[in-house]
Amino acid sequence: MAENKDTTAEEKTKVEQEQLPEGVVLRDHVYDGIQEYDQRLPNWWLFTLYIMIVFFVGYWVAYYQFGWIKSDVERLNDAMAVVKAAQKKELDKVVANLDDDSLWKMSQDPAVVSAGEKTFQTICFACHGKDLSATMGGAKLPGEPLDDAIWKYGEGKPMGVFDTVMKGSPDKTKGMVAFEGQLGAKGVVEVVAYILNHHEAKSDGSAQPKGK
Amino acid sequence: MTDGMSKQQAGLKQTIEFDDKSVRWFMGASIVWALVAMLVGVIIAFQLNFWQVNGKFLEWITFGAFKTEGLQYITFGRLRPLHTNAAIFAFVGNMMFAGIYYSTQRLCKCRTASDLLSRIHFWGWQLIIVSAAVTLPIGLTRGKEYAELIWPINIAVAVIWLVFGFNFLWTLKKRNEPSLYVALWFYIATIITVTVLYVVNHLQIPTSLTHAYPIFSGVQDALVQWWYGHNAVAFFLTTPMLGIMYYFLPKAADRPVYSYRLSIIHFWSLVFIYIWAGPHHLLNTALPKWLQMLAMFFSLMLWAPSWGGMLNGLLTLRGAWDKLRTDPVIKFFVAAVTFYGMCTFEGPLLAIRSVNALSHYTDWTIGHVHSGTLGWNGFLAAGMFYWLAPRLWKTKLWSESLANMHFWVGLIGILLYVGSMWVAGIMQGLLLNQTDETGTRLIYEFAETVDKINLLLFARAVGGTLFLVGFILLAVNILMTALSGQSVNGKVEVYVEEEKKQDRMTWTQVFRNDPIGYTFWIIVFMLLWFFLPPFANWIALAIMLILSWMAVRAFKKSTKTWSEWHETLLENYMPFTVLVFIAMFIGGAIQIIPTVTVNRAKNIEDRLQVPYTPLELAGRDIYVSEGCYNCHSQMIRTLVPEVMRYGDYSRMGESIYDFPFQWGSKRTGPDLAREAGKRGDDWHFTHMMNPRSLNSQSRMPNYIWLAHKDTDIKALPSKIAVQRRLGVPYEAMTKNVILDKAKKQAQEIASRLIDAQVSIPEKPGVKITSSEEAKEYLQSKQIVALIAYLQKVGTYEEVAPKEEGEHKPSTILPGLPDTYRPAHTEEKKVTEGKAEKAAAE
Repeated sequence: MAENKDTTAEEKTKVEQEQLPEGVVLRDHVYDGIQEYDQRLPNWWLFTLYIMIVFFVGYWVAYYQFGWIKSDVERLNDAMAVVKAAQKKELDKVVANLDDDSLWKMSQDPAVVSAGEKTFQTICFACHGKDLSATMGGAKLPGEPLDDAIWKYGEGKPMGVFDTVMKGSPDKTKGMVAFEGQLGAKGVVEVVAYILNHHEAKSDGSAQPKGK
Repeated sequence: MTDGMSKQQAGLKQTIEFDDKSVRWFMGASIVWALVAMLVGVIIAFQLNFWQVNGKFLEWITFGAFKTEGLQYITFGRLRPLHTNAAIFAFVGNMMFAGIYYSTQRLCKCRTASDLLSRIHFWGWQLIIVSAAVTLPIGLTRGKEYAELIWPINIAVAVIWLVFGFNFLWTLKKRNEPSLYVALWFYIATIITVTVLYVVNHLQIPTSLTHAYPIFSGVQDALVQWWYGHNAVAFFLTTPMLGIMYYFLPKAADRPVYSYRLSIIHFWSLVFIYIWAGPHHLLNTALPKWLQMLAMFFSLMLWAPSWGGMLNGLLTLRGAWDKLRTDPVIKFFVAAVTFYGMCTFEGPLLAIRSVNALSHYTDWTIGHVHSGTLGWNGFLAAGMFYWLAPRLWKTKLWSESLANMHFWVGLIGILLYVGSMWVAGIMQGLLLNQTDETGTRLIYEFAETVDKINLLLFARAVGGTLFLVGFILLAVNILMTALSGQSVNGKVEVYVEEEKKQDRMTWTQVFRNDPIGYTFWIIVFMLLWFFLPPFANWIALAIMLILSWMAVRAFKKSTKTWSEWHETLLENYMPFTVLVFIAMFIGGAIQIIPTVTVNRAKNIEDRLQVPYTPLELAGRDIYVSEGCYNCHSQMIRTLVPEVMRYGDYSRMGESIYDFPFQWGSKRTGPDLAREAGKRGDDWHFTHMMNPRSLNSQSRMPNYIWLAHKDTDIKALPSKIAVQRRLGVPYEAMTKNVILDKAKKQAQEIASRLIDAQVSIPEKPGVKITSSEEAKEYLQSKQIVALIAYLQKVGTYEEVAPKEEGEHKPSTILPGLPDTYRPAHTEEKKVTEGKAEKAAAE
């Protein structure tokens, strides 16, 4: 009978006290046929617990109470200062010899233009279109067209385009985000060179579409 | 062996029939919901690989009869809460109830106290699950993880849970076995802790029948949520499972439990320590430092107590390992306990702040939680079901080989799942942190890093599918077993004594003794060490250490008295329950009360969030309702790569008016804390309609319905009224003022969008011919409100440092112990004055 199985199991205990090895205790009490040894706690287990408690007290005191180790914000600020300094150095290096003329020159340098093309076709195309027309399949994309003579910011001067890509449009909710952080000054120069490659210089140095 | 005999001498012989019907029902429900939960899990896993699974695929399988770019009811953001809730509360919940009802009756040698309450419990719980399965896909949610259900369902959950708890404790009261077995300790801990957690995390003020705002916001809400979320894992997915393990594993192995004293030590340390570890879900965020510290250390201290459970499980099998070859039940139990050990090793590891810096917000966490729910709970459930079915239907298991096959399919599935998530998580974490050789620029865009783990995500989905297949085999096997047998209820013969020799301890005996005395004072001085200002805290630490040393000596000297006290306690269910409550309550109370009782805004030190306009608030509620938080965080951590990627790190005050907080816990998309003002409205519009038009690697669903569904601005007056009550400084506005403001802002955004030539997706019956019509159409739509919110999220104003002598509403600051710790130098200027003043007061 299935219903009697548990009862018989309880009466017939499977492990007897007498058969146990030295030092192992089997408890008297049986719960629904379940017996319990009372083994010593493994030492490695106890030490895991103790070490963690000691580590807690020690680390709390060293890190938090004495402040021997730098706090998150201190560490962050220090690291960001290094990053900022390096970014500024790169920017200074790039900008030092940069003007409209040098950008025009770079727009004819295949190495620079192809680097710019790669960036443009992975990032910028999303808003400005693969062909710079700011349309995709006839639908208008969020960006400004870059293949016409109209320049919303920077008067179409190469340095103006450079500044716009670096810093974004004056009101970001109505225009482009800043790309300085993502592309770096060098990356921005390459993208500008790629865009200018689709244009030619007017007499005042500003850009107009080729052949117009 | 003596237990049965001693009773033969006294008392009246009675045959008691157990209520095993409830066990059968809960078991059946658990299996059905397991299939649902896992199926939804597989669907959302594939959604992360293929965005089309968010609805577009319906077009293909109906051969174009059903046209859709995406179906709102089955997006990842809405289905993921359904998956988690179903897995936790429906699958594991029902399984837990089956195990508890079966074992408690036998361990107490009496039938469950009330059949009526058992029935109410069963049907009430299933009704809750059904209502969850309806409300979550239609977008009714509270926006807090594993606590998404709306307030009327919350009340039902609380009531049904209390019915269960009452029925359980009543059964204990009526028990014919004086001493409580270790399984029952874990059940007690489950019942009382889940009650406290659930109630506190669901405190809220309704704004309508289906919507409410939690009473906590920002950092406070984050703290309460993860205290709940973490301990839902601890006390819903762990302690009841340990109880079930302690009953079913020695039964199946037919071996004595390895160590009784290990049970005692690991039970009490688990109950006391677990609850403190919650804030480890918020490491490196704007959460006050002291809470992060406590969370990390208590998580590490949890290592041993958790492994105590695993040891007691695995070592119980000594002498029964041969069964591993033949008995599928033992196979499942061994795998389950092993996964428990692995999972609780991984947990503390992930709670180390530097490890967490890499792992958090990645798939590593997802892998970790699934090795718990699938490996530990899922396999334990399977083992228990296979063991129970022949006994509940008085027959043999229909097919042992099918059960073995389930084991191997499931094991391969879960290993594939966990393995691929480890690699995916670590890989994405590293990719996100990678900079070029100058260290000034991050190499990968966010979407690129997701694209690079595509194959691993796919492997995960396959692993999950295998696990589901295993459970289908289980369902078939159990069903066939049930059909081949007939329902029987277990019986036991007991000698019921007229006057029971149990539950006689006085409260003085409970509380006035060495074990409790030492524990109490050690905890008191530990808390003083945390909270007192310098020098006093050193004294507290010293006293705490001396007391600990004295306690160890006292224990060594009078081990027998201490053990006897605990043995007596086990024969007194109420005192035991009260002590469990206290042990569990301390951690939560210490962490939460100082942080939630302060007057929020007045204590903010550097930045204060600018409240939302009515339209932005409506937009925020859409963001919450669509479940955007399932993929996007709003919390930039104090880590260099995060600051380089997203901007300045998030401050506590920047989300202080966010009901609920939306810091998130997993990033499948980038962080949005500094999204405001970063891009154009038209960019957002185009992106929401078709994310891939702007980023080919995106896997976000197309949210086309946002362009056609109206914003519920009529609900705004009551929402704003509730927010005012909760302390958001809205000026007094009449209903009309609120509506006018919302409409005006919506008009502005709609015209900007139309002027930028965005294209409104087509919808049958909607004809727009002119731009004026388009503006008119668009301004009332959800997309406009959502854009308003996205352009506002995290906007703050600088707060001037408080002057000396200026009125301060409370000396209890959110970051209380932080204020006089040197490691907190960032706000030194501000806090120096404060600490002095606090000391003076």
